[in-house]
Parts: sequence; C-alpha cells; structure tokens
Amino acid sequence: MRPSDAYVVGKREYLVRIKGWGFWVATFGLPLFMAAMMAVPALLMTRGHTAHRLALVDTTGELAGPLRERLASAEREGARVVDFDLRVLPPGPDAAAQRARLDRMALAGEIDAWIWLDEEDLGRGRFEYHSESVSSWLTQEVLQGVVSEVVAAWRLRRAGFDTEKIAELTRGVDLRTVKVSEGGSSAEGGFGGVVLAIFLFTILYAVLILYGTQVMQGVLEEKTSRIVEVMTSAVRPLELMLGKLVGICCVGLTQVAIWIATAVLLTAPGVFALRSILPAGLNVPSFTPGLVLHFLALFLIGFFLFATLYAMVGAATNNMQEAQHLASFAIVFLVAPMFFFMQVINDPDGRLAVVTSMIPFFMPLVMMLRIAVKTPPMWQLAVAYTLAIVTTCGLVWVCARVYRVGILMYGKRPTLAELWRWVRYA
Amino acid sequence: MTSPTLELRDVRKTYGDVAAVRGVTFEVPAGTIFGLLGPNGAGKTTTIRMIMDIIAPDSGEVLVFGHRRTREDLRRIGYLPEERGLYRKMTVIDQLVYLGELRGLKRRESLPRIVDWLERVDLAAWGKRKIEELSKGMQQKVQLVGTVLHEPDLLVLDEPFTGLDPINQSLFRDLLLDYRRRGKTVVLSTHGMLLAEKLCDHICLISAGEVVLAGELRAIRRRLGGNAYRLRVANPQQLDLDRLAEVPGIERAVTEDSMVKLLLAPDVDGGRVLRELVGFLDVEEFRSEEPDLEEIFIKAVSGAAV
Repeated sequence: MRPSDAYVVGKREYLVRIKGWGFWVATFGLPLFMAAMMAVPALLMTRGHTAHRLALVDTTGELAGPLRERLASAEREGARVVDFDLRVLPPGPDAAAQRARLDRMALAGEIDAWIWLDEEDLGRGRFEYHSESVSSWLTQEVLQGVVSEVVAAWRLRRAGFDTEKIAELTRGVDLRTVKVSEGGSSAEGGFGGVVLAIFLFTILYAVLILYGTQVMQGVLEEKTSRIVEVMTSAVRPLELMLGKLVGICCVGLTQVAIWIATAVLLTAPGVFALRSILPAGLNVPSFTPGLVLHFLALFLIGFFLFATLYAMVGAATNNMQEAQHLASFAIVFLVAPMFFFMQVINDPDGRLAVVTSMIPFFMPLVMMLRIAVKTPPMWQLAVAYTLAIVTTCGLVWVCARVYRVGILMYGKRPTLAELWRWVRYA
Repeated sequence: MTSPTLELRDVRKTYGDVAAVRGVTFEVPAGTIFGLLGPNGAGKTTTIRMIMDIIAPDSGEVLVFGHRRTREDLRRIGYLPEERGLYRKMTVIDQLVYLGELRGLKRRESLPRIVDWLERVDLAAWGKRKIEELSKGMQQKVQLVGTVLHEPDLLVLDEPFTGLDPINQSLFRDLLLDYRRRGKTVVLSTHGMLLAEKLCDHICLISAGEVVLAGELRAIRRRLGGNAYRLRVANPQQLDLDRLAEVPGIERAVTEDSMVKLLLAPDVDGGRVLRELVGFLDVEEFRSEEPDLEEIFIKAVSGAAV
C-alpha cells in the first residue's frame, strides 16, 4: 500500500469531476429543484386557481348572509386554498323548475356548482351540491366545513343560545411545541423540526445515490475502456479503489458543504429573506454544529457503505446495463427508509426507529432522521455507529478482493459462487 | 557478466482447471530486445501479467534487476498492456501527466518530457486535445509515450504493434531500437514474426503455456538451419564439389540450382570458411541459409523436433 498513489488517483477523480459542468449543475440545480418541488404546487394552489362560481338557494332565508360573511372573512385571513364567488338566488315558487334551471346554468358554464339549503335536508344533516364535476374534493371539503360551521351556529341560535358566547367558549387551542435538549429548552416549530429532518434525509439520500452511481460508472469506465490494464502496472488495485472512493467522496463533501453553508446562512438569525416567504408562526430550525457533524459522519459512513457496494458491482459486471441491474439490489437498502421515515419522525424512540437505525445499511438515513428530530440515547448512537463502521470496513475489505479480480475479468457476469471464490482467491 | 534484467523460474499459473502457464523459465539479458512469441492463447499475456505483478503466480519466481521484484522496481518498468485504454475525456497532456504522477514524476518534471515526446511521435499539435478526438493510431502513440515517460530501465510491451499502420510500426520500431541503444531492455510479446525477426536479439517461444524454444535468435537460427550457407561464384565452371568438401569446416557441398549449398560443421564460423573460399574462387554471394522465424515458429508449435 502506497498512500501517495491513492492520493494521485483520488486527486484526478476529484479534479475531473469538480471541473465538469455536471457537478455545478447538480450543486445548484438540486436545491433549486427541491425548493421548486415544495413551493410551486403551493403557489399554484393558492394563487393560480380561479374562484369557484357557486350559486346558492337558501330556503331558510337565514343562512345566505352568514355564509357570505364567513367565506369573506376566511378570504381575508388568506388561509384558504379555494375561493368562492357566491351568487345567492331567491327561492322560486316552483322548486323543481328552479332546480332544472340551475342545472342548465351549470351545464352552460355560467356557474361551476349550485347548492340547495333547506330546512328539511339540514334537519337530516345534509345538503345538496350539484356540479358538472363532482371530483373537486378539496373544494367540496372546504365548502362542507364552512356550511357546517354556519349551520351549527344557526341551529344554536334557534335553540336560544348566545352564539358569540359559544364561539368564545369553544375556541380551539394551539399546540405550541418546545424542543427540550441538553442545551436548554427552546421554542421551535414542531413542523420546522420535521422539515429539517426531511431536508437532511433527502439530501443524504440524494448524494448517496448520486455518488454511489458515480463510483460504479467510474469503475466500469476504466474496465470497459481497458484503462485499468494500464493503471494496474503502476498502482495496486486497492490503491486504485481507495483513491477512487476517497476522491469521489471529497466531491460529495464539497457539494454537501456548499449546501449546508447555504442552508446555515439562510436559516441564521437575522436573515429575513427566508423568513418572509415562510408562513407566519413557522419557526425555522437552526443547524447546530452537532447536527452538522452528525450529518458529515453519516454521509461518510453511508458513502463508503454504498460506494463500495457500487464499486463491487462495477468491477463484477461488463456494461452499464448489467451493472444497473445488479445495483438495484443495493438501491433497495437506500429506498427502504422512504417507506417508514414518517413513522420514525413521529416516534424517534420507537421500536421501529431504534431497530432500523441499528441495521448498518439503514443506519445513515434513519439515524439522520432521528438525530434531526430528537437526540437518541448515547448508547444507541454508540452501538449504531460502531456496527455501521465495522460493517463498512468489512465491506471495503471484501470489495477490494472482488475488485482486484473483477477489473481484469471480461465476459460472462460472475455468479455469487464465483464472486465468493474471488474473495477467497486474492 | 551482469545479471539478467528479468528472469522467470518455473513460473506456473492455473485458472480453475486450465493451466495457462506451465513452468515457464527464461532470462532476458540486459540491453537486449527480447521477444516473447507464441500463438494466440499460448499464455503470453498471463506470463506478462505475472511479470508485472498484476496477477500472482501459483508457484515459481520472477526476478527483476537481479532480485525478487519489489514495489519500487515497478517504477523502473514501463508497461504497455495488450488491452489498453485512456481516459476519453482527458486531454493528451493531462493524461500523460497523470500517468507520470503514478510513477512518481512531478508535473514540472514530466511536462518538458511530454513536449519532447509528442514532438517525436508527431503529436505536438494534439497536446491540448481530448483523447476521444484522436484516431486509434494516435491514441496508441500516446500510450507508448505514457509507457516510456518515466524512462524505465525495462519496457514490457504486450503486442505493441497490433493496430498500427506501417508508418507507425516503423516509428515504434525505431523508438525501441533507440531504447536498446541507450542500454535499456525491452520485452515484447507478438505473434508478428516478421517484426520480431527484425527487432529481437533473444526470443522465447511459448505454446500451450510451455516454453518450446528459447535463446539468442541468431544461435537458434544457426542451430535449426544446420549451419548451412549458399554460395554463388562468378564462373560456375570453376566449381569442384570435391575441392570444396576439402575446405576445413565444410562437411558437405551440394549443387542446388545455380548455387552450391554448403553444410558446415556445427561450431564452425561462416566467416572463416569464406576467407578460405575467396582464396581460390571468385565469390559473388555467400549467405547464411537460416530458416526465417515464421518457419521456426510453425515447426516448433506443431511439435516438430527442435
């Protein structure tokens, strides 16, 4: 083992990638893409829609006014995702004829929907909503909520209660979350903590897949173009592999450092740009040095764990197609936490979270979630980190052996038994 | 006598049930061009990979520069594998600097050498171009430059001439001859007999993983040719076969076409015989009748007695 050779290899891997445009596109593109994924649908839903034109026939004569008021006040608060353009029609003498007329208006596109409020229906606890499209569940749900509120108040009033008093007495209470930690309690949005956990989880997931795949492609490129033959006379396979892993790992670290630095700057106290675009009342969680250190450690473990798997796949296969097929087995471990990350966030000390964070292949992603939400007990951190590091070292050892044989083998893809023989050979 | 630059002692390698190399032994004297010859699948590449420590022999020894090969020795060797590639997206100069760095050359040491070499192989204008823009022949020249950049004492070239056009073949050949002139050693494998014949001082012929013939090329030819010479004289009437047979060293003389074939005793030098002959004949042509390498190759490989 000559570290200087691994360094030369690593330096090339690093510089070639940093100088490529792909790196910078990913570095700036991915955060923009993530932000867009979160912001655009919300923007489209709040601003992009047209008001829902709703005709109302109120046979009680007492509901139209309060309903109009309620809708208007909700609009003023700006918290709604659906706007209504309410048109109140007086009940005609012939109900059936009026209903037929309303249907025609809906079909002609003059209105989007009409509702009919009469005492008999409301007494049975329902009202009718007629529209050409009845799949607008969000609109219907909002409407149902508003009508329910108004009808409830109307009923209470008719039963002789003081509605204002009732409104006062039945007002809900808000949950104010306070995160308790060693460093003292701090008021922090519960939702903010979740956002942070998901943010770190997603970044970790993305870079592990991104850089794992790059390692695989790098190994395969050297193998298929036969560069590896030239390399092996000057560098040992172990140095070549470690140089490649470390070089690409540094590319990942550079990228992550840019992201974290940006995030730290944006979320630092006193930065108003970000705060002003977030809904009021949402506290932005801050990056503590401990959190950043854990993130880096988990990135390193995750990278070496998965990149060695990917390197092994690259060395054992002959082309990208074969490699991707085989790599899907590695990706399963990365994707699996996607299916239970909400449970982990909700109950970071629950059995699911504890057990999965002890399994080395799940550890980096699951532990990231747990740490972001609530610092796990020291012993769990120690056990999880130890298990993962030991597994990683073992895997590097196995991979080095498969790699040594694999990079000079062309032709048929090896079977598992052959791979095992390679491990024993070398 | 100095120790051989490279020596293999009963080197063996088996893959599964297939014995790729079965006890190969040979020596490469310093300052020579050594040809490792053999048909496809004879075990040449496996042997070379063992020389380069890319694969470990099952048994046997590889001695380089007179001792068991160490890590540092590899930096004194330049290796051009049969299957060779370059990083397609790198420029010629970056690629060569990188190959130099892997052999311990700093950038500032290798840059002037790279410029020199690119000039020599006619690629001076291509230094800043990416490898993928180069033709295959050009890429091969870049590879050769990468192999010799660190001025190794021993060059190991696996099929260096495949894929080269005649102009580049002769360029490669001149470079190798120049290399030998500077006292360095070259080991090359090939199945191109004509080139080997022109280049090599020593050969080792392997077939099915075994050495069938090894030694100095001239000696081998003389031995296989039975130390025969062809003689042509200006006036055929002068020829008296009995008189010829009396010349010391000549065992037999027979006419063949318009010439005479002289069979000399095994250790007799042709030059000495010629000096005798010019004493009483007008010698127009006197040349050693040696079998060409192709014949030796075919004969040896097809199992004929050698």
